[in-house]
Amino acid sequence: MADVDQESNWLEQSRRGDHAAFENVVQSYQTMIHSITYRMTGSVADAEDLSQETFIRAFHQLRSFRGESKFSSWLCRVAMNACLNWRQRESRRAEVHEQWAGDNLGTLQENAEALDENTRRVQAALNRLPAKQRAAMILTVYEEMNHAEAARALGCSEATVSWRVFTARAKLKRWLAPALRGSPGR
Amino acid sequence: MNDSELNRLLKEAKVPEQSPEFRAQFPRRVTARLHWKPAATVVSAHWFPRLAWGLGLVACAILAFFLGHWREQNEAMAKNSLLQNEKVIKEMLATFPNRVRGIVQDEHGLNIVLSDQENVPVSTPLWVQICDGRHCATMVTFSGQELRIGRRDVTVLSDASGKIILAGDNFLWSNGEVLLADGKLKIEAKTLAPVVL
Repeated sequence: MADVDQESNWLEQSRRGDHAAFENVVQSYQTMIHSITYRMTGSVADAEDLSQETFIRAFHQLRSFRGESKFSSWLCRVAMNACLNWRQRESRRAEVHEQWAGDNLGTLQENAEALDENTRRVQAALNRLPAKQRAAMILTVYEEMNHAEAARALGCSEATVSWRVFTARAKLKRWLAPALRGSPGR
Repeated sequence: MNDSELNRLLKEAKVPEQSPEFRAQFPRRVTARLHWKPAATVVSAHWFPRLAWGLGLVACAILAFFLGHWREQNEAMAKNSLLQNEKVIKEMLATFPNRVRGIVQDEHGLNIVLSDQENVPVSTPLWVQICDGRHCATMVTFSGQELRIGRRDVTVLSDASGKIILAGDNFLWSNGEVLLADGKLKIEAKTLAPVVL
């Protein structure tokens, strides 16, 4: 990942419409954004679409980023908004989630390759969560944000994030307990 | 299962890796889309749904207002036209010969005021409306009748020249001219076409 000064330069150039500079920004954050969009959707294809959508939105909204928070937090917020507004493909999302939830072993060809059983179970459990609880879990667990940072990224209060995380954790523990018991070495 | 065990389990779940080619091409794909999706389009795409929703809501509000208004007017017109409908009046008079003292429409609905005996002479029906600012009551009656209308006892009189006089406890009205009133009353009256049974 680029250092802060270099990133600031790229962002400034991007604000002026420099696409080449923005390519560097995309390159720096594409893994993080892909990870978020995949965990939010459970679908590789939709994650790719949403990742592109996130960067395109970010480019056009760059003027609203004033540097008050880390760029990564701001970008997470853009990505989360894109995922939560993922309405156009609602039927596709329902289909993906249903398949994940209904068959933890996974029948989706796009996801089946290179995913172990634990990964499928975890993603199925994440998909069963309400979107906002899922978003709170992804930011706090995978992106290792504290509740205040996650609150800024999600545009809600810290208490709301805490409550969503608490509720989501309780559900995930219930759903994933058999997976933990069945894991070797535990 | 405690929180740290859950965290470990969650973090062990991997995201499918993108191929190196895909990763290398991805930034270029994004900027390629930026080329054919200029900023103006995105801005309008963000604003258009809000604008459309806003305009839609305003249109709905206006439509609801006019529908409500139209319905109220229609109901009022229907009530009034019912009391001015010669056929309806004729049927009521034929059903209760010489007993109909008045047909009253007020907030309680449509009521026929009948005499105990067949002692109401056939004469030209008179249409009367009295509004007190809160309620309106409309009636069709005949000269010489005393009716309770809108919590008021009203005596209705007419002469051969078509002049109508309404007399109540605290008002006296004659063809648009308030002779004595409590100031809140709005009265209209007219002669309807004679009913031939």
